[in-house]
Amino acid sequence: MSAANNPTGGGTGPEPVAPEVTRRGFLRGTLGAVGGVAALAAALSPLKDIDKEDYTLEKFLQKHYKEMTPEEMKKVLARIRKEVEREYKLSPHLRDVKPIDGVQFGYALNLGRCIGCRKCVYACVAENNQSRSPQIQYIRVLEMPRGSVDIERGNHHYDRPTVPDEDHYYMPIQCHQCANPPCVKVCPVEATWQEPDGVTVIDYDWCIGCRYCEAACPYWARRFNFTKPGFPRDEAKSENPCGLNPDMAYLSNRPRMRGVMEKCHFCLQRSREGRRPACLEVCPVGARKFGNLLDPDSEVARILAEKHVFVLKQEVGTLPRFFYYFDQEYPRDIPLSAFKTSATGPALPGTPMTGGEA
Amino acid sequence: MSNDEHGRSGGSGSWAGFLIGPAFLVLVYWFLAGPDLAEIPHTKAVSVPASAISTAPRREILHDPPTILINGFKRQCMDCHSLFPPREETPKRLLQHKHVRLNHGINDRCRNCHDTENRNRLVLYGGKSIPYNNVVELCAKCHGPEYEDWLFGMHGKVLGYWDTSRGPARRLMCTECHNPHTPRIPAMSPIQPLPPPHTLRMGNPAEHETAEEEADPLRHALRVTEQILNQRKHPKQEVPD
Repeated sequence: MSAANNPTGGGTGPEPVAPEVTRRGFLRGTLGAVGGVAALAAALSPLKDIDKEDYTLEKFLQKHYKEMTPEEMKKVLARIRKEVEREYKLSPHLRDVKPIDGVQFGYALNLGRCIGCRKCVYACVAENNQSRSPQIQYIRVLEMPRGSVDIERGNHHYDRPTVPDEDHYYMPIQCHQCANPPCVKVCPVEATWQEPDGVTVIDYDWCIGCRYCEAACPYWARRFNFTKPGFPRDEAKSENPCGLNPDMAYLSNRPRMRGVMEKCHFCLQRSREGRRPACLEVCPVGARKFGNLLDPDSEVARILAEKHVFVLKQEVGTLPRFFYYFDQEYPRDIPLSAFKTSATGPALPGTPMTGGEA
Repeated sequence: MSNDEHGRSGGSGSWAGFLIGPAFLVLVYWFLAGPDLAEIPHTKAVSVPASAISTAPRREILHDPPTILINGFKRQCMDCHSLFPPREETPKRLLQHKHVRLNHGINDRCRNCHDTENRNRLVLYGGKSIPYNNVVELCAKCHGPEYEDWLFGMHGKVLGYWDTSRGPARRLMCTECHNPHTPRIPAMSPIQPLPPPHTLRMGNPAEHETAEEEADPLRHALRVTEQILNQRKHPKQEVPD
């Protein structure tokens, strides 16, 4: 604090000449030192407000998802479990779900069916624990005038007493899980990447929140946590007062923090265990189809083979795994015999396909 | 306070060191009274009732054998119909079952689908009697292409597992969405949409249209299309002034 050649109190340098301590010099030095320390303490005081649990050494030294060994992942999951329990008062079923071999997920949406009810939007929010305040939603349902596909004119703020409106059609847009994803290319820290099953995921603990990916996405599918995700708390409930979905996975719907990106991941915690995404199950008109593109008998593979399919913004070369289609006019050009060869399709338990008896 | 001290110590050779104290003071001032952080607008949380996002089918269907509740008693069709022998022709105006409005295209006879002899069952047009659970087979007799689509999950909805080796899946039957008597209109009747988003940075592009965009020929064509559609919808507005 004090100048080097200023013979102040405490400044017992190695000089052979003993410094003369004057009253004035001592007071000046002490006052300066005390003032400086006080000012430093005050300047650093905002650091007091930072939650120490949020900045542990363990978290700081956490490795990238792809570099973690199973044991390290176990530790990280235990830490996140503890954090969720502390913050949201629920014990989550948190795990790291791995992609299934021989599976490439695909999604198809029947534009002729969608009525724009937004049930998918809110089913997604409930399933994937998005922030309720400020709102974060993965799916946007665009309302567009019939007769054109002009996305720029699509309105996702429509507020009608009833849908569908006869002069408009509806086009839900979410992450297209591109095979050539621009968002992955721009990430400076490789916090987002494409998994072997085609889903582009984010390691929320690795994301630095630069939002390059948000700018790169031609489908406006990425969302940023400008602040800590907010959930309305029901204080009457001692367990899970925020109403979170306890079925969580590391790469998908575990609670996010401030300053990280998030996006649709085809409900990894469901789809990688064989279930269908939440947006599909809630659709009241059955417009949404999901399945394994590599299985020729799956819903999506059939649709790709037989329906009029298109992808959004094909010209940007992103190769989406999300397809829009229309029902074909009947009669079709496909002979009935083509269906006969594959018997009755994949058998589903609990569904009668052949009748007559009983 | 230390400022005063510094002011009087003009004789000191290294004055730069004394600036550190004031600099810290300025920092303190900045932290305590400086500008607020950019405020994040907290939109009100919109909560949607769980019933609005239920995955239940749109209609409840009759199982086999179908039962209805009459005066608090569960009755099967044949409880009454065994008393009345079927007539040769189905009367077009029903005295019972008045809530049923048959609007199924050219299929306008009850007995095309309902078994004359056993009202607890349905009938195929060959005369084969089938239970209510097999209603899909009945519909498939006329709606073949839809049936094919349905078989492969392209029409209708399948609940449960996409990978049936890992868990069960259930394909919804025709009548779980469509009313068999009036299949077209009420099934896809309008419903109330859930609230629109109030998310950050997701403004309405139509509200911020620039003059340049306004002049875009594609936009112009769209506006004309919309006008025509509106005029068709409300023909009274077409009256010239």
